[in-house]
Amino acid sequence: MAFVGLAITFLGFLVSLGSLGISNSNTVRGVIVLVGIVVSLVGIMGVLNQAYMKNAIWKK
Amino acid sequence: MKKVLLAFAMTWCFGLCGTAHAQPPATQAQPAPPPAAPAAAAPAPAMITDADIKALSGPKAEDKAKGDPAGTTTGNVSDIPVGDAKKGLTLGDIVNQVGQNQIAINFVWTLVAGFLVMFMQAGFALVETGLCRAKNANHTMMMNFMVYGAGMLAYWLIGFAIQEGGVGAVANLGGTAPLSAEYAVKLFGKDLGLFGMNGIMLTGATYDVGVMVMFLFQMVFMDTALTIVTGTAAERWKYSAFLISSLVMGAFTYPLFANWAWGGGWLATLGSNFSLGHGYSDFAGSGVVHAVGGLTALAMGILIGPRIGKYTRDGKATAIPGHDITMVLLGCFILAFGWFGFNPGSTLGASANGNLRIASIAVNTMLAGMAGSFAAMCYMWGRYGKPDASMTGNGLLAGLVAITAPSGFVNPVASVVIGLIAGVLVCVSVEFIDRVLRVDDPVGAISVHGANGLWGVISVGLFADGRSNYGGAWNGVPGSVTGLFYGDGGQLVAQLMGVATLIGFVFTMSFVLNLVIEAAMGQRVSAKTELEGLDIPEMGAVAYPDFVLKADAMGVE
Repeated sequence: MAFVGLAITFLGFLVSLGSLGISNSNTVRGVIVLVGIVVSLVGIMGVLNQAYMKNAIWKK
Repeated sequence: MKKVLLAFAMTWCFGLCGTAHAQPPATQAQPAPPPAAPAAAAPAPAMITDADIKALSGPKAEDKAKGDPAGTTTGNVSDIPVGDAKKGLTLGDIVNQVGQNQIAINFVWTLVAGFLVMFMQAGFALVETGLCRAKNANHTMMMNFMVYGAGMLAYWLIGFAIQEGGVGAVANLGGTAPLSAEYAVKLFGKDLGLFGMNGIMLTGATYDVGVMVMFLFQMVFMDTALTIVTGTAAERWKYSAFLISSLVMGAFTYPLFANWAWGGGWLATLGSNFSLGHGYSDFAGSGVVHAVGGLTALAMGILIGPRIGKYTRDGKATAIPGHDITMVLLGCFILAFGWFGFNPGSTLGASANGNLRIASIAVNTMLAGMAGSFAAMCYMWGRYGKPDASMTGNGLLAGLVAITAPSGFVNPVASVVIGLIAGVLVCVSVEFIDRVLRVDDPVGAISVHGANGLWGVISVGLFADGRSNYGGAWNGVPGSVTGLFYGDGGQLVAQLMGVATLIGFVFTMSFVLNLVIEAAMGQRVSAKTELEGLDIPEMGAVAYPDFVLKADAMGVE
């Protein structure tokens, strides 16, 4: 799951980068970039960190 | 003589501005611009010729022999080097001296600012060590000490070339032309710079005085980013793994993003390539330095796991107090002092090109820092009943981190607002990371540098007032950086693109690189070492041998 989290985090960056080629409207670009940021945050906090928490030291 | 020199200065400023050498006297006359006021109110500048210059003389030898207690005659025409002894002093000699003086001012300013930033390492060392337990003081202090040397060597070897190897000529430093090779890829029909290629080990043409100034200043910034990580991973990071991780970060992670933002890379050209304001604008490094450090710290915090005893078996966070709050607050003060090099120094000059803005940058820095500490103190006082000292210190740092990117583009009112928000944000973020994410961060570095670094980047896109002017353009786009509140929404999108890159790319890169180190040698010390304290097992000596540490802290039954 940790690698899935990393992949999602990086995917968020690619979504944001893609906004440059998808539209010339700064509003549309801004919305897409925000979506990319949210995807990356989900990857870090929702997937990657959760994967490491499963084996957290206090649970041993 | 003073009048003649004053007249010359006026001639230089209004008639010859922008030329590298003086023109022959016959061609000096420039067409006067249309007068905005009646001609009588604006007398034409006096013309200066070589003959006038030759008429100048310094104080007589007998006068000089008497000394100059008032300082009125020291430094005069006789101190200007003559290019050709046969011709004597010419206008060209004086103009060259004016040019060199401007660059000299910028050199000295940038170098001194760099020295101040270097001293911030001492501040970080005190803050981090004070917030850790006494049994780990030697280890924590040594990490902060050696991150300077390890990072510097990696940066000298390859990092500087990646970051600045294609930045091109920097006018404030007299041109850094040897830094002229940027590797770029074609994407969406535009050239997007990825990394620089000149300046490896400062050899070849980069053995240049302007490049040296640039290297020193950028190097101490890089070291600031590296030392952020040591705080989050403190009290359980294997020293050898720390060294390797720091070398990698100094060589690759930091320089890559710094190139994209400051070295002519693709983020900096979002304005010229995609009409997003002035491109990603990060005046002194809320994103480049602090968010890179803070997000790498988050990656390390997740990877290395919390300290033993930080969480109970049901996952409830417990407080592990540091051992010296006086050390912490002294460190915060040193950091605030060093920040006067960090932000105002980022003009890379004090003369010409709008560089007198250093005054407002310094004031902005001061205001935001203290607003941050005030807000954090009030937040903690209201929420927990006491004005917590360590969080007040972190509030100061949060305000300083947040104002770092916008310091060159915003006004004092905006600086206070940015600082106040930063002070509250750091408190909320510490609670969130500690209790919700359950990432153990002994010094709050992820919140101070990561969360507030990102806030600083965003705040440029909101609060930049369009009143700054550094040579007429920023990132190759004419005019001044202007945020959403002053009419340019595109600037906010550029800033958000920087945030997306920091979270999505820099975090991932940092995590993967540290994962490789983890697989190769392990990042965390053994549980036994952690319980005993890292000082003896890792460093061979305790920090305070003449003091009896608490028995439980030493792992003694």
